[in-house]
Amino acid sequence: MSASAMAITVEGLGKRFGAVQAVDDVSFAVEPGEIFGFMGHNGAGKTTTLRILLGLTQPTRGRATVLGHDVVRATLDVRRVSGYLPASYALPPDMTAREFLLYVAAMFAIPPAQARARSEALLRRFGLEGAADRKLRGFSTGMTQKVGLAQALINEPRVLFLDEPTSGLDPLGRHELLEHLRALSQQQGVTVVFSSHILSDVETLCRRVAALHHARLIACGEIAALKREHGAATMDELYLELVRRQAS
Amino acid sequence: MTRLLWLDYLASLRERKTYVAAAMLAYAVLAIPLLLADPPPHVREAIAAWFDDGDPFAVFMFVWIDLVMNKVVAFIPVILASGVVLRERDTGVLALLAAKPLTLPRYFVVRTISACAVMLTLYAATQLLAAAWYPGRVAGFRPGAFLAAMSLHAFAAVFATAFAATVIVAVGRRGAGTLVALMLLGVMVGLALVGFYQPEWYARTLANPLTLGALAMRDLEHVRASLLLPPMLALTGLTAVTIAVGAWVVRKVEA
Repeated sequence: MSASAMAITVEGLGKRFGAVQAVDDVSFAVEPGEIFGFMGHNGAGKTTTLRILLGLTQPTRGRATVLGHDVVRATLDVRRVSGYLPASYALPPDMTAREFLLYVAAMFAIPPAQARARSEALLRRFGLEGAADRKLRGFSTGMTQKVGLAQALINEPRVLFLDEPTSGLDPLGRHELLEHLRALSQQQGVTVVFSSHILSDVETLCRRVAALHHARLIACGEIAALKREHGAATMDELYLELVRRQAS
Repeated sequence: MTRLLWLDYLASLRERKTYVAAAMLAYAVLAIPLLLADPPPHVREAIAAWFDDGDPFAVFMFVWIDLVMNKVVAFIPVILASGVVLRERDTGVLALLAAKPLTLPRYFVVRTISACAVMLTLYAATQLLAAAWYPGRVAGFRPGAFLAAMSLHAFAAVFATAFAATVIVAVGRRGAGTLVALMLLGVMVGLALVGFYQPEWYARTLANPLTLGALAMRDLEHVRASLLLPPMLALTGLTAVTIAVGAWVVRKVEA
């Protein structure tokens, strides 16, 4: 697939915070409609890379595009076609789930009737109808994550950036979330960048992955091919082998 | 952006701090007739000298503007504006909202105008309640002159809200920013009527936005458009400039 046909392209991306190199010469591409895994230890540079892709952090070198929009020069265009669920966030405690979804829809300038229809559909999809008019301050971790995902989908994004979306969820909540993501990719052709250090989730959901270690990309490709190449039976073995090889 | 502003305004109206502010204002309206029932003679004399008038309505307006509403505009705008952008950043809500197609300066403008609108709503409701409650309870009360004078002061309240939002964002930390905004507004309130007590300072005090808000006190017998409009326009301009400065400063905030 040519670079221009890719949903996301990242070329030589780098970010330095003072003395700390957070992302170092990272390059990869994501195909339209695929669920792309982004794995690495805490502090490997996954979150910084996602933030650069959304224009929340300026890169110190390299370039990246999302659906052809340059992430530095056309930040707002990138955000219009993207949904984002950060690893760490909170919901406004004094709003209800319904009010919050309408508020986020207004940030995208979605017409009110359309915003209402979309928010009702998302509330139904995530089983939140019963709690739609409750203040968000009382929501459990699982319900918060569902509202978080719903707000990321309110603009019907073509690209979804998810940063550690399964952290803090119980097994059932995790399973449901992964099913939702699979459905989004298969039924609506949404491109998903799924960042996680929970390798079983990455393996369950993704065909291709990029592995980051200490800010550098240490592998990128199909999971099955990487496993074969490194003689690994499981994702844990693959990741440890990649890290060991990098250390040596 | 209008729709977002409306939704933000409705959400802000439903916040706990708005209820607290409304309760404070209702208490002020209800308490003033009791406080004014028998003011000490030296206070009456001083006010009569400052405003060249022994009219009980002038005494009331001094108490209402200087002792009540000026204190209100030093506190409530800070309460309403302390959450603009920084609370969202500190609680983690900004992590979600910053990824939307709205720049942080624009988001600041929306949140600040919304806080100003909430302040104006509370302020207008207070004055209307007072205009309905005080006839017959406050000696010499004139609802028309009262509402006209307070319509000018409302512009000062809106300015104070925008000012507090900008100062807090400029400081960068909610606690410290709130204290600095309180201190600066406190100084403006403290100096607001100095020009009335010391006529030779009058021209200089016009640089104080809260003095502009109290200019109707100069001639309560003839509160008219030509007296009110220039300070209203000046306060509107100052508010716009203050919000623009805040929008420029907020760019340094990391989502």
